[in-house]
Amino acid sequence: MKSRELETKLRLLTLQLENWKKLHDLITYGLDKAKPIISSEQERHFTEIRANLLQETEYVLRQLNILDGLSGKAMNVLQRASSVRGVRDLTGEDVRRLEMEWNAVFTKLGVVQGQFKAQRKQLAGQTAISYHLGRLFRRPAVAA
Amino acid sequence: MWLHRRTLRRRWCAGRGGSDSLGNTPQASFLLSWLLQHFEAVETRVLILNADPVFQDRALAVFDGLDLETEVVRTFPEAIVSLLAENFDAFVIEGQPAAAMEQATNARQHFPSLRIVCLSAQAHPHDVALVGEQQKIELISYAWTTRGLRRRIERFVRSIETPGAPSAEGVDPCHSLVGNLNQFSAAEILQMSCLSQRSGRFTFKSGRGNSEIYLQHGSVRHAVFGSLEGESAVAEVFRWRQGRFYFEEGVISQVQTVDRPWAHLLIDNLQKLDETLELASV
Repeated sequence: MKSRELETKLRLLTLQLENWKKLHDLITYGLDKAKPIISSEQERHFTEIRANLLQETEYVLRQLNILDGLSGKAMNVLQRASSVRGVRDLTGEDVRRLEMEWNAVFTKLGVVQGQFKAQRKQLAGQTAISYHLGRLFRRPAVAA
Repeated sequence: MWLHRRTLRRRWCAGRGGSDSLGNTPQASFLLSWLLQHFEAVETRVLILNADPVFQDRALAVFDGLDLETEVVRTFPEAIVSLLAENFDAFVIEGQPAAAMEQATNARQHFPSLRIVCLSAQAHPHDVALVGEQQKIELISYAWTTRGLRRRIERFVRSIETPGAPSAEGVDPCHSLVGNLNQFSAAEILQMSCLSQRSGRFTFKSGRGNSEIYLQHGSVRHAVFGSLEGESAVAEVFRWRQGRFYFEEGVISQVQTVDRPWAHLLIDNLQKLDETLELASV
């Protein structure tokens, strides 16, 4: 069986994760002192990814029911990382915070994606009939 | 309805595959897992280009409910990278009619055999529809109700679902040359055969399908791939990076669909390939 709701959530999550990965690539590039040239194309790409994340993050996190835990951290990352050049000019402490918060967001999204994929796999092994029969005849949870 | 039948058939296999603990013999488990893998392998793959896939997702929501694998990209260069790297059964471009058609026309030049669809929230103007017809680009409009849109998308998906029969392998004694496209590109082997003034038939087999190119005295005489014939079929084979090829000496085509010298074809197609790679790096 395939759940449309689950597929939609997975699609949103995959798109969101893809953007966070791209953002991280550019942040890493910005922090790499061995690469002195930052092109306008890279800045444009960074702004585009940031714009996508700014407008989509809250909506996607709400759809996934993880808005409370992650919204603040995601916004902190997006506010600190204003441009590739801006990332390069951050202090050591700010860079550490940026990486920590990016990691928190990425880890949580990755975990949720894994959970959704596990659900999808479980559903794929069931027919619509067995799924609904299972729900119908499942024993109710007994209160301790 | 057909989609549902196909889904049920596949789910039956999936359900049975998971019941090893219920006492299936190892042979039955193996057979079922093979069936499962087989059915998994023929899943239709669609690439969807949508600049705003989170908020403009009416059509994407329809695709979510269908039994197929989708990949969503936001920009045209990303789409080209995906099309070059992986095999897709169709490419769906969602957006304003004129802009989507421009991208579709561009994609058509580089991927002649690909099924391309333009999805748009508005009805397609007459000139856009005309270009679509010329370039073999299908048009689906959102102006329909969601149910109508779903029906049209389902019909389109049904039309691209192929049986996915694995191509027959094995060396026939009449094959004078056999090889892999990941070791020698089509351009290399065709160049070699044309330089040595060969006459015969090249058969290329890949996940995309089979194609035949006929040579006569070192020139390409006829090429066919699905509904494509002539130079566009040659252009298609140039892009293949995976698959096998066989050459049968002396098989001559009565039909002639290519009348340009090999050198011209080679230069044009290599140039086209470079242009495709350039698009991907924009």
